[in-house]
Amino acid sequence: MSFRGVFIAVFLGTAMIVAAFVVNSRRPSVEVARTTPAMVKATGRCAQCHEHETGAVVHEFEMSAHASAGLNCMDCHTPKEGQEILPHQGFEIAKQVTSLNCSGCHQDQYDQYLRSRHAAPSWAAVTGSKDFTAEQVAFGEQHHPGWVDREPNALAILQGPASITKGCQKCHDIGKPNDDGSIGSCTSCHARHVASVELARSPQTCGQCHMGPDHSQLEIYNESKHGVLFHAQRHHMNLSADPKTLTSKDMPVPTCSTCHMSGIGDRLDPTHDVGERLSYYLFAEVSDRRDDFRKKQIEMKASCLECHTNNNISTFYREAEAVLKSTNSLVKQAREVMEGLREENLLTPDPFDEPIEFLYFDLWHYYGRTAKHGAFMGGADFVQWHGFYELVAKLAEIKHQAAELRGEGQPDADSSDAATDAD
Amino acid sequence: MPTHPTPPPTPTDPAAAPTSSPWWARPLFWVELFAAVNFAVLTLDIYLAHSMNRFAHAGEWIPFFYSLAAAPALVFCWLIQGRLSPHLPGDPLDDGPPRWRRWLARWLGILVGALGIVVGVAGMILHLQSHFFTSQTIHNLVYTAPFAAPLAYAGLGLLVILNRTEHARSLEWARWVVLLAMGGFLGNFVLCLADHAQNGFFYPSEWIGVIAAAYAVGSLIAVAAFPASRSTWRLAVLVLLAQFVVGLLGFLFHLIPNLRGPMPTLWESFIYGAPIFAPLLFADLATLALLGLWAIALACPGVVGRPRHRPTLDASPSSARS
Repeated sequence: MSFRGVFIAVFLGTAMIVAAFVVNSRRPSVEVARTTPAMVKATGRCAQCHEHETGAVVHEFEMSAHASAGLNCMDCHTPKEGQEILPHQGFEIAKQVTSLNCSGCHQDQYDQYLRSRHAAPSWAAVTGSKDFTAEQVAFGEQHHPGWVDREPNALAILQGPASITKGCQKCHDIGKPNDDGSIGSCTSCHARHVASVELARSPQTCGQCHMGPDHSQLEIYNESKHGVLFHAQRHHMNLSADPKTLTSKDMPVPTCSTCHMSGIGDRLDPTHDVGERLSYYLFAEVSDRRDDFRKKQIEMKASCLECHTNNNISTFYREAEAVLKSTNSLVKQAREVMEGLREENLLTPDPFDEPIEFLYFDLWHYYGRTAKHGAFMGGADFVQWHGFYELVAKLAEIKHQAAELRGEGQPDADSSDAATDAD
Repeated sequence: MPTHPTPPPTPTDPAAAPTSSPWWARPLFWVELFAAVNFAVLTLDIYLAHSMNRFAHAGEWIPFFYSLAAAPALVFCWLIQGRLSPHLPGDPLDDGPPRWRRWLARWLGILVGALGIVVGVAGMILHLQSHFFTSQTIHNLVYTAPFAAPLAYAGLGLLVILNRTEHARSLEWARWVVLLAMGGFLGNFVLCLADHAQNGFFYPSEWIGVIAAAYAVGSLIAVAAFPASRSTWRLAVLVLLAQFVVGLLGFLFHLIPNLRGPMPTLWESFIYGAPIFAPLLFADLATLALLGLWAIALACPGVVGRPRHRPTLDASPSSARS
């Protein structure tokens, strides 16, 4: 009986096992302490293929705060209740990742978003209420009466499905109802795999939709002192700062999110209800105060206070409200003309079938909004040249066309002839 | 001078070994068959494995075609040499095929083996290149393509070459078979460790394969070092028999989840699910190792029968020093 061989066999075998345990124990617990084997496997297995097939997706994820926190693909792609399951290379993933997946960790943000106009009112503005459940309509109406339980947009229908699909819905899908019962996708602002706070704080992100003649916020911002400073100092700013601890040291210059969403110091809590600090319905034909007008204005002013004195803020608001009232007045004049024409049966009941209807739509929807947004966002040129100037010009044109429709002021053939003869 | 129970391992004189045993009683015959069958099975295994990424790189077809050709090539060698056991240069020419056919069969076999080594080593490098070479971390080692798996080709290639370069009745040949089986278990240890680490060893049972492979490696190294040690030989046999149980258990553990898996077809379940053939490697390598142990037993009959030299109980200082 030899002990040497037995000892070596047992010693080597045990040493290998101990080494295996030690190496395995060095793996970060965030990788291995997961609820299912698939969740562990996803820490590296997904990238084995996707690094080659959709490499940018992997790279984007690696840059994300999610990756830094130790999340992996399955944390977001795991199917939630009500989601269609897609068998994918040994994994079960959600066929479509929606805000429901995000809400698993970001429930407060999702709830805030649901109350906002970015949710149901946004999609309903194009397609009406038909895509929503009764509960979703009721919830939306509770926060935005008349903006969810509504008909599809007449102008969108006139432009046709191609325009709706490739145009309108590309922005308005921020509030699209999903098959799983949720609404929207957080990726509209945060992008998908990078899931970036920094991206959501960039004016360009909001400006993907909030631009153009109907709501020129990005252009106005870029003209404003805020925008000019931002572009000059962007590289000195910490746009990826934690929303819970964000201060003006991180972002000494505001972007859209700073005033409308961010929590700043102890004054304001962050919110994903983008209307929470808005005191007027600036987007409307005639702008009225919103419910809780005072509270909302105080909250918005709280963000202004980070850089401006109370006196400055009050002056700014007073002047902006003067623009709002003046714009309302001009729009009301135009609206009275239009209503008069309808009462006189000089216009058909159908929308957008007569040139003067487009003219009126341009007046309030483009220039009225532009003047008001310009006033509240510090874009002087948009208040005046792109706003009031166009307002008064379009009002004159509307009045002129109305007169034509009524047959007023039409030079008759005789006088014209007489004038010619006189010459 | 006291007699030691495990005499120093020296190659047994081939001429002294019995030559009249029937073909089925010669380990070489079974080892040669083992190599050919393994090449054939690897064809299916590699097809399944590389189907996972749909043979994304053209080079992934190389091991498939190599293993597809290797088994018939070996069969061709057997046909032209007139038997399964390869001829060595010094073998007598009194019976069997002419010299050129022996030469051709031998060198064709060596070529098959050499190509196996090339395919295996290149495969390992390419598998590591998929992730690990970009950043040498444990994470990347775990989630790189299974880098130990291609070494199966190198192991089989070495086995084929061994059969054509060493006398199968020698202790040297027997020890090399054991060492190559040990190498296989070492690869299996790494493979099992890395593969189950992908799950984070979610189920404690996933450690069974690692533990089993580790003790197989230990016991086979011990046998290779002390081939005449009866206790070491017997321990190795026990450990190897346990590998069959581990292999079967692993096969079931891999099969059942695949059958219950989420994939829409059975084919996809086996491609993307737990590797169905991997646990059978335990039984496969145990078979090779047992063939090696058998060869050792033929070369050193003392390991199975009564030892020719009983250990003395002399504990004198001079004995201890020796």
